[in-house]
Amino acid sequence: MTTEAMPQREHTQDAALPQGIGRLTPGWIVFFAAMAAVTAIGMYAYFLQVTNGLIVTGMRGLGTMLGATWGLYVAYYVYFIGVSFAGITVAALIRIFRITKLEPVARIGELLTVVSLILGALAIMADLEKPWRAVVNLIQYGRPQSPFFGTFTMVIAGYLFASLIYLYVTSRRDAAILAEQPSRFQKLYRILAAGYEDTPSQRIIDRRATFWLALAIIPLLVIAHSTVGFVFGLQVGRPGWFGALQAPGFVVLAGVSGIGNLIMLAAIVRWATNTRDRITVDAFAWLAKLLLGLLITYLYFTVVEVLTVTYQAGEVERTLSDALLTGTYAWIFWGAIVSLISAAVLLIWQAVTRKWSIGLIFAAGALVNVGAVAKRYLIVVPSQTHAQLLPYPTGSYTPNWIEWAVVLGLFALGALMIGVFMKVFPIVPLEEAE
Amino acid sequence: MAKYAMAVDLDRCQGCRGCMEACKIENNTPQAVFWMYVFRTETGEYPDTKMSFLPRPCQHCNNPPCVKVCPVGARFRREDGIVLTDPERCIGCRYCEVACPYGVNYYNWRKPDAAFGAYDMDYSDPDVAAVTGGVIPSYKNPDLDLLQGDEQRLTAGGAHSVGVMEKCTFCVHRVDKGLNPACVDVCPVHALHFGDIEDPESPVSVYLRERSSFKLLDELGTDPSVIYVGGAPPGSETREIERPLTEVRS
Repeated sequence: MTTEAMPQREHTQDAALPQGIGRLTPGWIVFFAAMAAVTAIGMYAYFLQVTNGLIVTGMRGLGTMLGATWGLYVAYYVYFIGVSFAGITVAALIRIFRITKLEPVARIGELLTVVSLILGALAIMADLEKPWRAVVNLIQYGRPQSPFFGTFTMVIAGYLFASLIYLYVTSRRDAAILAEQPSRFQKLYRILAAGYEDTPSQRIIDRRATFWLALAIIPLLVIAHSTVGFVFGLQVGRPGWFGALQAPGFVVLAGVSGIGNLIMLAAIVRWATNTRDRITVDAFAWLAKLLLGLLITYLYFTVVEVLTVTYQAGEVERTLSDALLTGTYAWIFWGAIVSLISAAVLLIWQAVTRKWSIGLIFAAGALVNVGAVAKRYLIVVPSQTHAQLLPYPTGSYTPNWIEWAVVLGLFALGALMIGVFMKVFPIVPLEEAE
Repeated sequence: MAKYAMAVDLDRCQGCRGCMEACKIENNTPQAVFWMYVFRTETGEYPDTKMSFLPRPCQHCNNPPCVKVCPVGARFRREDGIVLTDPERCIGCRYCEVACPYGVNYYNWRKPDAAFGAYDMDYSDPDVAAVTGGVIPSYKNPDLDLLQGDEQRLTAGGAHSVGVMEKCTFCVHRVDKGLNPACVDVCPVHALHFGDIEDPESPVSVYLRERSSFKLLDELGTDPSVIYVGGAPPGSETREIERPLTEVRS
């Protein structure tokens, strides 16, 4: 590359690549630096944990140690896996029900699925003292009878792999289009396109492949999110966990947090890449209706669950529900309920008036995620501290800065992955007419 | 094949916690770790209160929830009913701990070598050294590292490596030699009895034959091998009134 060629090359790139790909704006650099800094803090906290043992976290043993042995990491592992719901659902709606209005947000959803599954895997690895041993022993000695097995096979291997394939197959057309123009990433696009030239016959094959792939991933999605629910729902020895509603509840709350996240991310992408004409209010309205349906289902599940536990009122269940409804965890529980209900009210109001505002839909997306995180925490922790069947005194658990730093580091890492993707590949699919 | 069981006589137990001490010495467990634990509990309102004691070793369930949930088979149940942990296979996910309704699992939150010295004892003190022979910290029972049983597996008997789960082993290293678990032999009032429950003449079978008994949280279907004689199962009014130091210091 000669020095004279540089300005000209920059010029062609500006013209060639849409959505600001390859151009490092000051805003993006600030974003990148901030996220990299938070990720670095998380990695430092994780380093402290690996060198000193999990003693540096706020977690302690159940029973005589009066702690919670699963804490923030497991709560966020469940949350991240839940968020992955978004991508495939949107893809399925587009491919199977032909809701074309959602097409511009499809890739955002697929990317969100892949990123959140990676974060979920990292969160559960952060919870293990010996992650390297976990990888080796799970491959060598994995037992399908353990509900955790589903996490490592169904979720992290199967679901993540299928989602990656789906993301790739649906991205090939854009890679082929971009590979025709000279640009910094031309070689990359050529490799990604892998011979795809967007001919009519290839398009038909592609459409069929994505249709069947979407159809195949839907049962995988239900099974994967259910296995996470089974991790808790099958444990008869832990009041508050055992129950048949746990698995479907996990699937539905996964949908709520996943679609909520997709709404927020799509709004941010729309603003950052200046694609207001592509991602329309209609697309947001569709996502909002989907979110509302899932949210109402989840609120119904919550009522059923609370009613069952308080009405039957076994001794330990009563201790637990007292802690949730009026005791130690009441502020988290009612905080979650208030955010979920306000999100529902916001969405219902817009549905009734038929006036959809992206700002309000974004607010609903943010509120349901606050509620989802709180509910995940409440599933994991109180049953350990307040539901002992033998006369152990009540325990307590407060996550400390190490755990928060690792979790925030994971969020920042996810933002980094999405941010880098946006600078390399069009996150909003290119229009047909280009 | 023998089928081991323990009978705990709650009418005899006086809550001296000698069994807890014997377990710590036999298995060299770190600070705040009690493979054998004795609840000292109280029921009723003052002045009509009643004090009772409940020894809680691992229940060595015949349908063990911890074995079911272990994703790598590190927690296993031998044919003779003893439930053990392979510390080299354990990945430290702590699923067994949340699955166990009895709270018998202890995770090694820190490097236990350092924890041995955490009893606020000065081991260089001549009076202390006269007793310890300068060995502590930390003496380690060499039997604990042996491979046990037909499976020839490690049992987490005092392996104490950071980041893995451990619990009561019924002193498998002693049982395989034909001895009783340390807690049983040490009990000054013979509240603990151990033996082959399928042998009608074993001490535990003879003891259980004469008395009515119950198992802890039997309704959960775990089918424990620890059987309680006399006394009553803890109820919702039972509260713990005194406990040893159970805080792991960082």
